[in-house]
Amino acid sequence: MNQSATKLRVQNITLRFGGITALSDVSFEVCQGEILALIGPNGAGKTSCINSIGGFYRPQSGRIFLDERDITNLPPYQRAKLGLSRTFQNIALYTNATTLDNLMAARHIHMRSSLIGEAIFWGMAQREEIKHRRVVEEIIDFLEMQAIRKSIVGKLGYGLRKRVELGRALALEPSVLLLDEPMAGMNVEEKEDMARFILDIHERRGVTIVLIEHDMGLVMDIAQRIVVLDFGRKIAEGTPQEIRTNQAVINAYLGQAE
Amino acid sequence: MVALQNVPTAARAAPQGEHPHLAPLDPALDTLPKNFVAMAKRYGASKVAMRKKRYGIWQEYTWTESFAHMRDFCLGLVSLGLQRGEKVSIIGDNDPEYYWAELAVQAAGGTSIGIFTDANPQELAYVLKDSDSVFVIAHDQEQCDKMLELREAVPNIRAVIYWDEKGLWHYQDAWLLSFEQVEAKGRAYAAAQPDAFEKLVMQGSGDDIAIFSYTSGTTSLPKGAMIAHRNLIYGMRHVFAVAPIRPEDNYVSFSPLAWITEQSLGLTAHVCIGTVVNFPERAETIQNDIREIAPSALLFPSRLWESLLSMVQVRMADANLINRALYALFMPVGYKVVDFEDRGRRAPIWWRMLYGLGDVLIFRPLRDKLGMVNMREAFTSGASLSPDALRWFRAIGVTLKNLYGSTECQTHTLHYGGEVRFETVGKPPPGVEIRIAERNEIHIRSRSVFQGYYKAPEETAKAIDAEGWFHSGDAGYLNAEGHLIYLDRVKDLVPLASGEYFSPQYLEVRLRFSSYIQDAMALGSAERDFVGALIIIQFDNVARWAEKHRVSFTTFVDLSQKQEVYDLIRRDVQRVNAALPEAIRIKRFSILHKAFDADEAELTRTRKLRRGFLAERYREIIEAIYSGAESVQVRAEVKYRDGRTGVVQTAVRIVDV
Repeated sequence: MNQSATKLRVQNITLRFGGITALSDVSFEVCQGEILALIGPNGAGKTSCINSIGGFYRPQSGRIFLDERDITNLPPYQRAKLGLSRTFQNIALYTNATTLDNLMAARHIHMRSSLIGEAIFWGMAQREEIKHRRVVEEIIDFLEMQAIRKSIVGKLGYGLRKRVELGRALALEPSVLLLDEPMAGMNVEEKEDMARFILDIHERRGVTIVLIEHDMGLVMDIAQRIVVLDFGRKIAEGTPQEIRTNQAVINAYLGQAE
Repeated sequence: MVALQNVPTAARAAPQGEHPHLAPLDPALDTLPKNFVAMAKRYGASKVAMRKKRYGIWQEYTWTESFAHMRDFCLGLVSLGLQRGEKVSIIGDNDPEYYWAELAVQAAGGTSIGIFTDANPQELAYVLKDSDSVFVIAHDQEQCDKMLELREAVPNIRAVIYWDEKGLWHYQDAWLLSFEQVEAKGRAYAAAQPDAFEKLVMQGSGDDIAIFSYTSGTTSLPKGAMIAHRNLIYGMRHVFAVAPIRPEDNYVSFSPLAWITEQSLGLTAHVCIGTVVNFPERAETIQNDIREIAPSALLFPSRLWESLLSMVQVRMADANLINRALYALFMPVGYKVVDFEDRGRRAPIWWRMLYGLGDVLIFRPLRDKLGMVNMREAFTSGASLSPDALRWFRAIGVTLKNLYGSTECQTHTLHYGGEVRFETVGKPPPGVEIRIAERNEIHIRSRSVFQGYYKAPEETAKAIDAEGWFHSGDAGYLNAEGHLIYLDRVKDLVPLASGEYFSPQYLEVRLRFSSYIQDAMALGSAERDFVGALIIIQFDNVARWAEKHRVSFTTFVDLSQKQEVYDLIRRDVQRVNAALPEAIRIKRFSILHKAFDADEAELTRTRKLRRGFLAERYREIIEAIYSGAESVQVRAEVKYRDGRTGVVQTAVRIVDV
């Protein structure tokens, strides 16, 4: 695994909502093919940070680079075309469509034919549809979703919807995957399944992963490096072993000793 | 041997040797691999051998492709050092690779052992050691992880071969090999010795042991039943002599291959007849996959048939108004027609016309949903299916038949020739002999009787006698029609003073099939001359019946002791008795004045009878049944659910059947 190259660089970003500073001067780098966890107490700015990388929030200052290209001013869909894909803390899917439709919809950024083109050259459009269906079926197989392929997403259980959302993020064929609390609200078995899928994605597809997660046991198991935020500032960065013994992190989680 | 009046003690469908299925095996086709090779030569690329649903599509393998995989894998195993007579264990779900691996082991002269995928590492280690396995073919990461955990404990395993690489990409261990790696070794071996495969296959003989099938060890450690190639071929022929299967038939393979039935009706039929085997995508998608294939024959355990029925009932409750109305309208028509058939009569023309309409509007769509539109042979095995479920399936046009067998002898009896009798498990097919021995034990003799338990000569001697009869340990008897009625395991039978043995379990289960009976306890022991029964009515149903028939009553106690209710229940008891020999019929019974209650420790929490406690608690009534009294006064203490206790004083009747 080549971890030398920097895949994603967050450089001195500051994000304010009115008088509230959500992120203040946060910088970190994510290496190619790495699993990096963002942790911190509630309100530390983890989701704000992910949203800034994804393009949903626009930081007032600082820059974000993907593959050394400045993406700070790009809208979310253009970042997606560059290989940035994400899941949401509160699942965001087409609830009245099937698993398959949700995944196929995510393929549209890779589709070339236009509406008129599809109407005229239906053979080409069909070939393209088959190609995308194949990609989607591989993801369905990968995430073991065969039994829910044609199920309406809104009727699925919470754990399965999380899995569909992960599948949709994968359907974009991203090089960087942003996962906002992929295991929140799951039971132990579902968490273990999800952790296995994340590791498989990382290992099999070589995807760089940035994830927010509260379950410290899991974070320590699957993350290679950890960035800790508190009150919008980065307070620590390092391997799980270093973070476990870092005094600033202990203070942030347990409160400052007098 | 117990003498039963007017009842034959042995049955045999047709003299052996006459039936074409019983002809001696052609030495060129006496093993599974020989048949497989012949079938591949016959069909080549012109016919589909298998389908596996992957990526949402049924991927097809022709006989030529299937043959190439099997040959390459076989030679791969040989190049890894597999010798004739060695054993290979396979643990995995049903897949084309499983079929190829098993046939490849057999083609190399080895014996294949199927292990259930949910076996824990200890159970797995036991079978691997007991069977002297030298290779393990493991499906996926889950099974490979078990093997890696066991590595130290099973030093004889030379390599573990997996066919689903998911999650195994980063495993760096020379002990683990992929299916493709072994196939590649096989191709290299074939290039060096082009005629090696043919020679290996031709060296095989029908007497070689094809598989070990481990018996479920409920009372002792599992034993490996050794089953020869010719046992499997005859076992399959016994069934298909009476339930013909054709090469164009579709079969859905999903019962575990560690189970003898899948070996016999799935794999053996595939290689000997050429049926198309379809493998579902995943365990969770089976229902949908079966619907897409619409197989012509199916064997489910009775539990699965019942869960299918309850699934339809739940879905029907959620269905739209039109479908609900059609269902409500035509199900009674279906039942009516079934009732006519049960009485051996043809339904009148108007009922049949109505049924035809119902078939178009609701029954056929229902069968389609269940994947049963092409169903010719639907079998149920295992514990008996309730008559309600049977009636329901027959009403929608699926004629369910019983099939009874064992690991050691494969199929013993089944329903065929239009004789579907639900109190029986059918008749032995041509080539199978059944006899009833001491304590009503069922003995079987046929060409599918196994070769003995591996490394257990004493157990083998107990199971197969000098004349070749297999002692099944099951109890039953034959009725006047030559049908076998299965009672229970011999060890669970209870003796009467007369020396006859009866099965309390059998009587209780069948009494409970009545919608008017909630619970029953069969009575009898070595000190008693006949079988008696304590019966609890199903209050709601009996109360409804009583209202309809203008029988007035006040409470449970009052209702239970009505003469009319006794007459009603007597008919159910007579129905259960009708299937039994005179000596073990219920002679007298009493309806209890209260229900069995787990709160009073009469039942366990899983609603099993606590026999010892009940026998003590109802001693007066039981004594009265055997003393011939007409009734007995009881004072029973009752604990109400709010914690208070009260005393009930009443006369409980006892009647003759």
